[in-house]
Amino acid sequence: MSNPASINGGSAVAMVGKDCVAIACDLRLGNQSLGVANNFEKVFQFGHVFLGLTGLATDVITLNETFRFKTNLYKMREERDIEPETFANLVSTSLYEKRFGPYFVGPIVAGINSKTNQPFICSFDSIGCIDYSKDFAVVGTASDQLYGMCEGLYEPNLSPDDLFETISQALLNANDRDALSGWGAAVYIITKDKISKRYLKSRQD
Amino acid sequence: MDIVLGIKVSDGVVIATSKAATRGISILKDTDDKTRDLSDHNLMAFTGESGDTVQFAEYIQANIQLYNMREGHELSPYAVSHFVRNTLAKSLRSRKPYQVNALLAGYDTDKKTPSLSWIDYLGTKADLPYAAHGYAAFYTLSLLDHHYRKDMTVEDGLRLLKLCNKELNTRMPIDFKGLQVKVVNKDGVKVVDGEW
Amino acid sequence: MSVTSAVSSDYNSGVSNVPIEHQFNPYSDNGGTVLGIAGEDFAILAGDTRHTTGYSINSRYEPKVFSVGDELLITANGFAADGDALVKRFRNQLKWYHFDHKKNLTIKSAARFIQHLLYGKRFFPYYVHTIIAGLDEEGKGAVYSFDPVGSYEREQCRAGGGAASLIMPFLDNQVNFKNQMDPDSNGTAKKELKYLKLDEVISLVRDAFSSATERHINVGDGLEILIVTKDGVRTEYYPLKKD
Repeated sequence: MSNPASINGGSAVAMVGKDCVAIACDLRLGNQSLGVANNFEKVFQFGHVFLGLTGLATDVITLNETFRFKTNLYKMREERDIEPETFANLVSTSLYEKRFGPYFVGPIVAGINSKTNQPFICSFDSIGCIDYSKDFAVVGTASDQLYGMCEGLYEPNLSPDDLFETISQALLNANDRDALSGWGAAVYIITKDKISKRYLKSRQD
Repeated sequence: MDIVLGIKVSDGVVIATSKAATRGISILKDTDDKTRDLSDHNLMAFTGESGDTVQFAEYIQANIQLYNMREGHELSPYAVSHFVRNTLAKSLRSRKPYQVNALLAGYDTDKKTPSLSWIDYLGTKADLPYAAHGYAAFYTLSLLDHHYRKDMTVEDGLRLLKLCNKELNTRMPIDFKGLQVKVVNKDGVKVVDGEW
Repeated sequence: MSVTSAVSSDYNSGVSNVPIEHQFNPYSDNGGTVLGIAGEDFAILAGDTRHTTGYSINSRYEPKVFSVGDELLITANGFAADGDALVKRFRNQLKWYHFDHKKNLTIKSAARFIQHLLYGKRFFPYYVHTIIAGLDEEGKGAVYSFDPVGSYEREQCRAGGGAASLIMPFLDNQVNFKNQMDPDSNGTAKKELKYLKLDEVISLVRDAFSSATERHINVGDGLEILIVTKDGVRTEYYPLKKD
């Protein structure tokens, strides 16, 4: 396990519903096989845009702080919050800047555009290539399991409540088949005028 | 094989470090201090590559003290832990990274809350109720998981530490020459005397 | 340091003074994925029918789930040559079992026997994930799964092969109701386990395979499901995406 992206473990997933998006992550931070913390959240909020960051934990922290800094500056210059599409490009260029010495992360972006009210999600590789998605996006050490769960459970145009159930079941069951993910989970359900955050009870092994 | 342990209790933080300084197959010293006082209410305990450790700890210590002198107030444990993390994270992608793992124990005198941060050489930071680095983690975390309560006092914390110490003494393959124990609370950093 | 290059240049005669080494790799991966589920009075064993090496598709219909008699289903997914060899050996020994004992081999005994076949090659293993399915002595559905060297376990369901990591959590959720609660209990009681009906299982298997086909390059073309009941073995085939 000398792959930097799987030292600490962790997974995140985002989904699109009808006039809503959801983004969720596990809470584990580990050191190889040893669980170190069960309060390490991997989803961060910048205005009405949400960023899931998995991979090497030190880079997760660094990038969260970098994007907080950049979005704060953006807000001061533009006198408005950053939109999801714009933020996705900011993530992309920030990661590609380190093309030959990358941050070892797997990011996903989720949000609803405040002008058009269009839901938006996408994921990235570690050097910033954007993967736009209409349905779901997955990253992290349980990405294989998440792909299987999402392909199996997802359907388009779910209501916020149904989307919550779908993304939660996808994350929980994927995490239970990954030794490096789990130890709790956090789920955000985002609609045009309401953001709800819920912690899930999950297996602790 | 160094031991670095920390337990956060309701009114302070207990820190324990092994007193043996080893190099290869030899124990060079049985009174080693693997901690540095960064300021009145901030303590750093550390392990890692010998040479890097003390160099790094004293670099941090100097910078924290410089900040205190320039700004005329003490940096909060939160700020200190981020400064340490940031220093290690920057060092990680340098020509020769510091190979130092640290625990930061602090007491926030404004918020009146204790603080314990686990930081590894990569710059990974986790704020935890109890923490350990290296092999000691494998032996003690299960005990701490079982017995830890968040309303414990410093006395309870020291009792729990005794349990950990006993386990380490029975399970560790080499003599670590006992523990040096320190407490950080509203009154600052104090060494806890006694047989450890 | 010795000269290892055999390519000549202005500075190198191209004469090598070290012996040329050759390496033979006895294994390859032929892709595909398999899945077995046990019901109350039936069991199924399903597999896709794509056969690959690397990015090449060798065949769009190469069955890898077999009915070997005695209402036993077997599949050995991974390195196809090893899988075929294992199934062939099992069939042969089953024939001798009939000659010697004049009775059917129970799935329990078949499982123990496969352990011996696999462990017999402990130091040059069959590179396969083996699953067998059938009915036990009480007529209940049974699935046994094996690692490449013969560790085995009886289970309600198991996915094996390339897309096992995609399918297994889905099965945990939909067959064993993992992470599901009883809606009336306000999150205090787990959803009660119950046997799925055959048509429910078939639609789960089809969902699982079309999901795996969507995201895994080595899975696709066709899905062959073998079903054992007390009336014997039946085969169903469903096409999968060919891209």
